[in-house]
Amino acid sequence: MTASSVLVAIVIVPFVVSVATFFLPVRMSKPLTVVTGIAIFALSAALVPRVLRAPIRVGGTLQADALSVVFLVATAFLYATTAIFAAGYLHLEAGRSGARYGRLFYSGINLFCWAMVVAPVVNGIALLWVAIEITTVVSALLVAIDDTEAASEAAWKYVLLASLGLGIALLATIVMYYAGTATFGPAYNLSYAKLLAGAHHFPPAAVRLAFVLAVLGFGTKMGLVPVHTWLPDAHSEAPTPVSALLSAALLAICFYAILRFYQITERAVGSTYPRDVLLVFGVASLLLAALYLLRQRDVKRLLAYSSVEHMGILAIGMSFGVQLATIGVLLHVLSHAAAKGTAFFGSGSIVRKFGTKDMRRIRGGVGVLPWSGPLMVAAILALSAMPPFGIFRSEFLIVSGGLSDPHDAGAAILVVLVTIAFFGLSWFTSQTMLSPDPRPGGAPDQVVGAPDQVVGAPDQVVVTRGEPSVWIVVAMVIGLGALLVLGVHLPSQLSQLLDQAARELGGPR
Amino acid sequence: MLNPYGVQVLQVATIVGGAPLVSGVIAHVEGRLQGRRGPRILQPYYDLAKLFRKENLVTEESSWVFLAAPIVAFACYLIVPLLIPVLTTYGLPLGYMGDILGGGFVLSLAGFSVALAGTESGAPYAQLGSSRAMTFGALIEPTLLFVVFAVALITRTDLPYALAATVRLSASEMVRPAHVLAAVAFFLLVLADTGRIPVETHSGTLEFGMIDEGRTLEHSGPALALLQWGSNMKQLILYTILIDVFVAPWGLAGSGRVLSVVLAVPALLGKAMVVGLVFAVIDNSFSKLRLFKITEFLAASFLLAVLAVLVYYVGGG
Amino acid sequence: MGSVPSTYSGTTDLLTLLVLLTEFAMLRAPLLRSQIRLYAFQSLVVTVLAIVVAASRHVPDLYALAAVTFVLKVVLVPGLVLRLMRKADTDLAGSSVLGVASMILIAILVSVFGFVTITTLHLHSDVLPTPTLAISVAIVLVAFVLIILRQDVVSQAVGFFSLENGVDVASLVVAAGLPLLVDVAFLFDLLVAVVVFGVIMRVHHGRSNTLSTHDMDRLRG
Repeated sequence: MTASSVLVAIVIVPFVVSVATFFLPVRMSKPLTVVTGIAIFALSAALVPRVLRAPIRVGGTLQADALSVVFLVATAFLYATTAIFAAGYLHLEAGRSGARYGRLFYSGINLFCWAMVVAPVVNGIALLWVAIEITTVVSALLVAIDDTEAASEAAWKYVLLASLGLGIALLATIVMYYAGTATFGPAYNLSYAKLLAGAHHFPPAAVRLAFVLAVLGFGTKMGLVPVHTWLPDAHSEAPTPVSALLSAALLAICFYAILRFYQITERAVGSTYPRDVLLVFGVASLLLAALYLLRQRDVKRLLAYSSVEHMGILAIGMSFGVQLATIGVLLHVLSHAAAKGTAFFGSGSIVRKFGTKDMRRIRGGVGVLPWSGPLMVAAILALSAMPPFGIFRSEFLIVSGGLSDPHDAGAAILVVLVTIAFFGLSWFTSQTMLSPDPRPGGAPDQVVGAPDQVVGAPDQVVVTRGEPSVWIVVAMVIGLGALLVLGVHLPSQLSQLLDQAARELGGPR
Repeated sequence: MLNPYGVQVLQVATIVGGAPLVSGVIAHVEGRLQGRRGPRILQPYYDLAKLFRKENLVTEESSWVFLAAPIVAFACYLIVPLLIPVLTTYGLPLGYMGDILGGGFVLSLAGFSVALAGTESGAPYAQLGSSRAMTFGALIEPTLLFVVFAVALITRTDLPYALAATVRLSASEMVRPAHVLAAVAFFLLVLADTGRIPVETHSGTLEFGMIDEGRTLEHSGPALALLQWGSNMKQLILYTILIDVFVAPWGLAGSGRVLSVVLAVPALLGKAMVVGLVFAVIDNSFSKLRLFKITEFLAASFLLAVLAVLVYYVGGG
Repeated sequence: MGSVPSTYSGTTDLLTLLVLLTEFAMLRAPLLRSQIRLYAFQSLVVTVLAIVVAASRHVPDLYALAAVTFVLKVVLVPGLVLRLMRKADTDLAGSSVLGVASMILIAILVSVFGFVTITTLHLHSDVLPTPTLAISVAIVLVAFVLIILRQDVVSQAVGFFSLENGVDVASLVVAAGLPLLVDVAFLFDLLVAVVVFGVIMRVHHGRSNTLSTHDMDRLRG
């Protein structure tokens, strides 16, 4: 297969599958989605060596360079693992929800993933905006799919805030277009190559305005403080597979959009300005998220704030403007995707088992969940940047890059705040997972209380030892395996890919 | 060629003589719009003549202010036509006596003296009308100032003649946002200041809804005639400013030739009647606002005036 | 500053201002229905603006865009929202956090902020009218005020749609040459967003039996 046909396949297949799953029964959608996810991941991985030779372009609309492929791989990985996880997750839901729920769910998940894999490979900031807007509308429906009061509240906040953010992002796109008209005349297309080629001549004021608007707009969806407020709500109320996709893939895609604006801005006005903007947003996000992590009682909200934290790390990492830190940032995108996905899968398993998201009611997770319990602990440790996982490596790169910069205050702040976040996460681990088994002395299975969040679940949940589903374990094992690979031995092609993407992003020339 | 001072006198005479006619036309059309035959067009003149023949009644509590106020107000309304372009495009000698702000002050003085006479009468409804008129006057004032600012920014002078000349220059000046916003703001002010719906029912008999009308309840005879005549003149003056300064400064005399000056008189009165018709239609298509909602109406015109100034600063608009 | 704008830019500025004024009127309008009608009117102004830009800048694509805008924003979207309202006839008027006067004052301040910000950037261009950009930023900001201060899903949704109108105005005047395909994609996205808004509004109404967002405070922390 040629590179361009691979690209076209990546763009078309998930959409077709999404349409198909809308009509197929759930038992067929399940394997179909898993196969599609794995196939898309394989295709994306196949793009890596090709894109190292030269950027791929298909017509005027599709293009993939190293930067795109980094995000494409991360998203496709989530697509595959979430499909596996959902197979186990929905198996449990099947009893109550009926065929309609399943069809909507699978169709929505595939459409959502489609929009997310399309976003990094479209050519130009306008099409990118369109792709991200599609992710918003689809994911908002997926957040509301459980049809509870809390879900509708979360979905409303999400769709309103995200749409507003994207409205701002659209304004950013238009201002960027305006900046280009000085060079290209009143009508031109907004492809990256064209914008980057002409960026030197853009009026700086317009570009600056566009960049701030873009950070604010896409930052709303990425979860940057102070425009993150929808994020914990949507992440906690959505079905867990959707939470995993939102948190691990969608936020990264919005970061990708910011990076594209960064690229142009950096050429037009130099790197100081965009770096300062990112530093402000990054530090604010990291600070607030670290503090909220300390007092969080809801498992999924905990993970959501952890996402805000990691998005802050990404923004700070970019603000260092050093090649090494930029490589770290891109690696962080990959490893955060794997770690956060895995952690959400684990939380799905916990929520199923205990029937609640309230961490005060969850005890002895490791004892009750023989496989996913320890895996969850490992995933949380990975999220707290413990070696030997990928996040350790990426944060290490970011911090060492930051320290090589003369203004290393950013790096110091980063280390301090990440440590605070670590306390929050480890409190969770010790309280819920490593605490004593709730069934003292092998007594009859204990009733831990009525579930208050999971609507439609039985009135009381009896905690028995055992895994809710083997699929969940499989998904978590894959995620942790990837994290180990990223942390211990980065494949050489991947490392070349990150190098090249970092070069594309600029840095000292 | 007419002596400039002669033209000046003719301006005042046009306003003084034409004001009851314009009011009569409006009242007649309003009657038609409401399905009545309406009063005769010349009715205001007959009313004035009748009132002048009657005796002047004064309440016991009142002082000389009660009788002086109508004369002061009438005098003020005689002064303002000297300052604004009524018949000519070129400035007349006395036209430079005061700018648009000065004209505004003279009009305020007239309103103030009438209100003073209202409180002087000692009658509760007249006092109510006076206090309301002053309250809303205080809210109208800032808007008027912003309109004047906008005009002054556009023309770099605050002479009414200069703005009229600028508007005549080109179509770009007409669609200029600052100009249009200021004009609309001024239009709303005229609506409020001439006692029209949605602010006030100008022809009602219900004292509770009265604002401007309420002030003159206690006057009679020649004093009332002066007040009514004055209020007709004020209406025509405001229409003239709206027409000749903001909306349609065409048909004015470009030189002192007798024919063009004489033709300018019917032109002005015709345009004033058209504007009056617009007001009559508005009057008959909307309902009166509650008293406390009038502030919102005035806030809207304030918003327009502020935007006019802002837009000018942003892009010379 | 002070130079007379051309007739073209004067007209576009004026239409843009009309959009801004409609935004203010929405802020004031207490009835949800009148708010939707105002939105339809605002979209109509945007349509006219598209036609003016198309005619005076010779961008025939924009005629098509105007047609699509008209069908979508003047007919379809208000129609959909009104239909939704008819089903949920519990609320006629929305509630807001502040009184009308304070809201208008805040909105004036906010739009002054937008004007000043854009002016200080000195984005001068020979072919494109700058005030329009400033005004559309003001529209966006006032829409934000509307969304923040009104407490019902209809007003908030209409606020978002009108924000989109503001961005649309900017794109028409500042980026008239934007490829038609992209413009239509934007509009299509809006339509999809409207449907999603509608679905979630319905879910919300079905769950809590109100259109108010007053009780949307369960999720926090």
